[in-house]
Amino acid sequence: MKLRTIFLAGFCAWCLPAQVTYERLQNAAKDPGNWLTYSGNYQGWRYSPLDQVTRANAGKLKTKWVYQMSTTHTVETTPLVADGVMYISQPPSDVIALDAETGREFWRYRRVLPSKVNVCCGQVNRGVALLGDRVFVGTVDAHLVALDAKTGEVLWDVQVADYKTGHSITVAPLAVKDMIVCGISGGEYGIRGFLDAYDPKSGKRKWRFWTIPEPGQPGSETWKDDAWKTGGGPTWVTGSFDAAQNLIIWGTGNPSPDWNGDKRPGDNLYSDSAIALDADTGKLKWHFQFVPHDVHDWDAVQVPVLVDDEWQGKPRKLVYWAHRGAFYYVLDRESGKFLTGRSFAKQTWAKGLDANGKPIRLPGIDPSPEGTYVWPGVQGATNWYSPSYNPLTKYFYLAVWENRSVYRKGEQEYSPGNRFIGSVPLIDLPEEPGHGAIRALNPKTGEMIWDYPLHTKPWAGVLSTAGKLVFGGSDEGYFFALDADNGKEVWRMNTGGAIRANPIAYLSQGKQLITIAAGSSIFTFELGK
Amino acid sequence: MLRFLLPFVSFSAMALGQAVELTNPRTSPEDVAAGAKTFRSHCATCHGIRGEGGVGPALAAGRFFHGSSDNALLQNISNGIPGTEMAGLFYSPDRVWQIVAYIRSLNQNPRSKVPGNIAAGRALFASTGCMRCHRVQGEGGRLGPDLTTIGMSRAPEYLRDSIVNPNAMVQPRYWVFEGAGKDGTAYSGFLLNEDTYTVQVLDFQERLRSVNKSSLSSYKVKKDSRMPSFGKSLNDGQLTDLVAYLYSLRPKGDAE
Repeated sequence: MKLRTIFLAGFCAWCLPAQVTYERLQNAAKDPGNWLTYSGNYQGWRYSPLDQVTRANAGKLKTKWVYQMSTTHTVETTPLVADGVMYISQPPSDVIALDAETGREFWRYRRVLPSKVNVCCGQVNRGVALLGDRVFVGTVDAHLVALDAKTGEVLWDVQVADYKTGHSITVAPLAVKDMIVCGISGGEYGIRGFLDAYDPKSGKRKWRFWTIPEPGQPGSETWKDDAWKTGGGPTWVTGSFDAAQNLIIWGTGNPSPDWNGDKRPGDNLYSDSAIALDADTGKLKWHFQFVPHDVHDWDAVQVPVLVDDEWQGKPRKLVYWAHRGAFYYVLDRESGKFLTGRSFAKQTWAKGLDANGKPIRLPGIDPSPEGTYVWPGVQGATNWYSPSYNPLTKYFYLAVWENRSVYRKGEQEYSPGNRFIGSVPLIDLPEEPGHGAIRALNPKTGEMIWDYPLHTKPWAGVLSTAGKLVFGGSDEGYFFALDADNGKEVWRMNTGGAIRANPIAYLSQGKQLITIAAGSSIFTFELGK
Repeated sequence: MLRFLLPFVSFSAMALGQAVELTNPRTSPEDVAAGAKTFRSHCATCHGIRGEGGVGPALAAGRFFHGSSDNALLQNISNGIPGTEMAGLFYSPDRVWQIVAYIRSLNQNPRSKVPGNIAAGRALFASTGCMRCHRVQGEGGRLGPDLTTIGMSRAPEYLRDSIVNPNAMVQPRYWVFEGAGKDGTAYSGFLLNEDTYTVQVLDFQERLRSVNKSSLSSYKVKKDSRMPSFGKSLNDGQLTDLVAYLYSLRPKGDAE
C-alpha cells in the first residue's frame, strides 16, 4: 500500500462528496480504501489489495467497534464503504449508514412491510448498491428503492414484482454504467425468474431478461406445456460485470417445482445456469447450464469469478465457478464454452462431466416418495456465500459443505403465493450432520491446494487480501484468518453469533480494517499494538 | 355457503378485537388428509414432516407459543407471526382450517389403557436405581432424560422397548464424549456442544466442563446408551408395572 493511497483514503472522508461514479466502480482495484460494490470489484473476486494486515501481524487483530442491529432475522449483508461511510442492510429490508471509523449511526431507512410476505428461507437481505450519491436496496416485498446517500430519504420506490405471487428481493443490486441491475427471489414459489436493469435517476425499467423463455423464444423447447409459467430460475445472488465485453454475467436458480420435475420434462433453460447478457440491452449472449433438468435444488447462484489469464499457453478470458452441485468449472468468457471441471467435494450423483461440461448422471439419484440419499445435500457443496480469487496466490478460495440429504418427491399443485416445491426433503440428517471446510483450489484445474476443516457447515463467504490472508467465518460464530498459501490458521475470534455473511476490508484514517456481520451485529477489526 | 360465512365472521370479529371463539368447521378425515398434504408442502420445511419441529417449533405436542385455540391457529397460519420467520399462506380459510385439522390430529394421543400397577411401578422406579440418572418432578439425577411428562410423548410400547433395549434409539444429547488429554487427563461425559476447536460436556459427576481439542491427543464420540438393559433383571410383570408408572407421568391437568 503506497503512502499516497493511504493519505488520500483518509483525507477523502472529509473532503469529497459521496459520489460513487461508474469510473470508480470500474477501477475499484485502484481504490482499495473503499469497498464500493458487493464483491469488491466487478470481477467478483472479493479480494482486497490492502496489505497492512499480514500473516505476521494478524495475531494482533482486535475488535474496533460493534454495531448491534435491531432484528431477529438472519443477517447476510455485505457492507459497502464509500468515503468514510459504511452502508449496511438490516433484514428484512432496512438500510443503515454508519461512520466506518466508529460504527456510529448517521441515518436509517426502515422499510414498512406488508403483514404477509413469503420468502423461502428467511426474510434476509445481502446488501445494497451505490451509484452517484444514491443507495439502492431491494425489499422482500419485491420493490427496488433508491435512497439519498446523505439522508436516507426515499428518492423513488418501484415495484419490481408482486410479492403476493411469491416474488421477493434478497439480492444486493449491482450498479453497472448508468443502471441498477437487480435480481429476484421466489424459486420455491413458482415464479418465472428474470433479471432487470433500472434507471438510477427515475427508477424506470430499462430492460428485463426472462430467465425462463416463453413459447417461441430460444430455449422454450426445453419446457413442456405451461410449465414455463411457473418455471423458477430466480436470480438471487449478485453477478459480475465484464466491462471490456460489456457483459453482465449472473447465475440463475432452480427450476420450479424444486424436487419434482415430472411436469417440466426437458433441460429447463435457463435455470441453474450462468447467463451472459449485453449490459445495454439485456439480450442473451451466451449461457452455460450446470444442471439440466435439476431436481435437487442446486441453484447456480454463486458469484461468477472473472479472470484474464493464460489458458494452454494463450491469454484467455475465463470464468471460474464452484457450483452448488459439487463441481468446479472453468468457462470461456467470450463464448460460455466449457473448458474444464471436476468435483471439489463429495458427490454421488454424477460419474463426471462430459466434454461439454454436462453432468454424466448416475442412476437412482432422483428424489423419490420414500426418499433418496444423495451427496451433496439440498444446500449444496457450496451456496450463495462468496468465493474469493487472489491474484497474488492465483488460488480460488471457497467455503465448502460435505454432507448429504434425503431427497423426497411428492405431488403439488401450483397456487399463487404459496410454496411450489414438490414435497419436502430431509435437509439435515440428525445423526449425520456433515461438516464443512474452507478450501483453496487451483482455479485452472479445480484441484484442492489446501483444506481448513470445520466441525460444522459454514454459511459465510471468504475474503482474500494482498496481505496473503483468507478471512472466513463459521456457523459456530468464529471469524478467522488463514494463511492464503497453506491454509494455516493465524488468528481467530469467537463473535458469539453464527456468521452468515461475507467479509470486506477497507481503510479508515489510513488503517486497514476488516468487517463481518455475525449474529445480528456488525464487527469491525483492527490491528492492535 | 355456511363454510364461507363462518370464516368471514371470524375474521371480522378479530378485526374488531372481539373474542369470538370459533371451532374448526373442517375436521373430517378427508379434511385431515387434505391438510396433511398442504402441511407437507408448506409447513414441514420448518416444523418437521410430522410436526416434530426443526427450524420452527414442534407442533405435535398441542401447545403453541402464540395461542392454542382454533382461532389463533387459523390466524397465525393465514397471516404469519410478526417478528418471526413464520410466514402466512395465501390460501382460503377453508384450506387453512384443513391444516388446523391436521395439526390437531398430530397431538391426539388417546391415552391407551395399559395393564400393570402404577404404585408398584413407582416403587420399582425408586428401588432399581432409575432415579440415579432420571428425574421426575425435580427428584433424581441428570444423567438421563427427565421423565416428568414422558407419558404424554411416548407410547407404552416405546417405553417398554427403551427399558429392555436402551440402544434402540439414543438421542444425540446422550451421546458420550471420551477424550485423552496430552497430559494424561481423561475426559468423558455427555456431549452437550461441539465446535471446530472446543467441546462442552456434562461429566458423569454432573459437572459442566469445556475442553480445548488442541489439548487432546485423541477423542471419540460414542453413540451407545449408558443405560443398562433391564430386560433380564426385571420380570415381565415388573416391566409391565414400570411401564404403567412411566405412562402415568403427565403434566398436571392432562386429560385422563
